[in-house]
Amino acid sequence: MTRVLVVDDDPVIADLVSFRLARLGLDVSVETDGQAGLAAARELRPDLVVLDWMMPRMNGLEMCAALRADPDEQLARTPVLLLTAKAQEPDLERGFAAGATDYIVKPFSTRELATRVTAALPPGTVLA
Amino acid sequence: MSTVEAVSIAASAVLALLVVALLVATAVEHTGRARRAARTARRRAELTPLVHALLEADDGVDAPDVSGSDPLLDELVIELLPQLRGADRTALQAVLVERGVVDQAGVMLSSRTAWRRGRAAELLGNVASGRHVPQLVALLADPVADVRSAAARALGRTGDVAAVAPLLAGLAVRPGIPPGIVGMALLDLGTPALPALRAAVNGPVPEARPLAAELLGLHGDPGAADLLVEVLADVHRAPVVRRSAASALGRIGSPHATATLVSTVTTTGPLEVQVAAAEALGRIGDPAGLEALTSGLRTGAALVRSACAESLAAFGPAGRARLAAHAVLLGPTGAAARSALDTLDARALGRRPAPVRVAA
Repeated sequence: MTRVLVVDDDPVIADLVSFRLARLGLDVSVETDGQAGLAAARELRPDLVVLDWMMPRMNGLEMCAALRADPDEQLARTPVLLLTAKAQEPDLERGFAAGATDYIVKPFSTRELATRVTAALPPGTVLA
Repeated sequence: MSTVEAVSIAASAVLALLVVALLVATAVEHTGRARRAARTARRRAELTPLVHALLEADDGVDAPDVSGSDPLLDELVIELLPQLRGADRTALQAVLVERGVVDQAGVMLSSRTAWRRGRAAELLGNVASGRHVPQLVALLADPVADVRSAAARALGRTGDVAAVAPLLAGLAVRPGIPPGIVGMALLDLGTPALPALRAAVNGPVPEARPLAAELLGLHGDPGAADLLVEVLADVHRAPVVRRSAASALGRIGSPHATATLVSTVTTTGPLEVQVAAAEALGRIGDPAGLEALTSGLRTGAALVRSACAESLAAFGPAGRARLAAHAVLLGPTGAAARSALDTLDARALGRRPAPVRVAA
C-alpha cells in the first residue's frame, strides 16, 4: 500500500489531510514536528511527504533539506509537498530551493491537494 | 487546660478543616475540569469525521445530516473555515448558515461586549456574509480598536466591492484603522475592487490616495498605468502619492511609464519620489531607463545614487557593465557601484547579500 507521511503541528489540518488522503486509498501516518517527521520518514520510508513549514523543533524547510541530504538515495528522492500559509514569491523560491516537489498555499482546497498528491505519485497508486 | 488554650486549639482545628475543605474543593474542581475537557475532546473526535464528510458532499457522496448535531460541530467548522478555500469553504459556509450560526453572529454584532462583536465580525467575514456588510461598515467606527480591525478584515473577506469606499474613508477617521489592515482587506476584495481604487487615487480622502496607488501596483493593474503616470508627473501632488504611484508603476511593469520615471529620476524633486522612480525603472527593465539611472548614480543624492545602483544591477549585463565602469571611481559614486556589484555577486553565489551601504 502506498504510504504517505503528513507532518503538521496543527491537529485540525493534520486530521483533515489524513482523512482526505485515506479516502484515496493511501496509508497515512501523522507527525507533529520536523524532528519527529524526519525520524518517521527514515523508519517508514514513505512514498510521499506532505509537510507544513512552520513547526516547532525543526521546521518544514529544515526537514525537507535533511531528507534531500539523506544518504539513503530512495529516501532522498521522496516527493515532498509543502502545505503552508507562507504565500509570498520568495517563500515559494525558498521552498523549492529546499527541495520541495510541489507547493500548496493555505487556505487550500482538499480537492487540489488530492489532485497534486495523485500527480506526485506513480500512476495507478491512487484510487480513482 | 486554660480557656485561652482551648480557644486556640479550636481555632486551629477550624482552620485545618477549612484548609482541608479548600483542598478537597480544588481537587473536585480540577477533576471536574479534566473530565469536561476529556468529554469535549471525545466529542470533538467523534464529530471531526462528520465535518470532513461535509467536504465530500460534492464528490457524489450524500452530505450528512447535521441539523441536530452538537453545537461543538459549529466550533469545529469555524476553526476549519479559514484554512480552506473553494468548494470546501462554500460547503462549510452553507452548514453555518443552515444551522443559524450566521444569523446569531449578525445579532452579536451589536453585543455590548467588545470581544463578542469582534468574534462575530470575524465569523461573518469567514463565511463571506454579504448581507451583513452594512453592519460591518458601521463597526468600522466602533470605539474598540480590535473590533474596528476585525470589521475591516471581515469586509475584505465578504468580497463585496461596496466595502471599498468605507474602508478607504476609515483611514481618515481618528481613531481609525491601521493602513496595513485596510490594505490587506482591500487586497482580499480582489480585482473587482480595481475601479474603486482607481477612483480613490484622485478621490476625496487624501489619506486613501497613496494606499490606493500602492494597491493598484500590487494588483499589477495595467489599466491604471496612465492614471499613475499622470499622478507621478504632477509636481503639485503630495510627494507620498507620487512615490506610491512610482512604486506602483514599477510593479505594473509597463514601459509606457519609462519616460515619466526617467524625468522624475533626473529632475530635482522630493527624494522619496526620485528613489521610488529609480527603483521602478529597475523593476521595469526598459533599456531606455539606463541613461537616467547612470546619471542618477553619478549625480544624485546619496539615497538616489544607491537606488540607481541597485536598479542598474537589475538590468543584467548592460547594467553590470555600467556599474563596473563606475566602481573604479573614488568617492560616493564608486562606493554605490561597488556595493551593488557586491550584492549581485553575493546573490550569484547564493549568499545573503550584505546590507547596501549608502555613501554620504
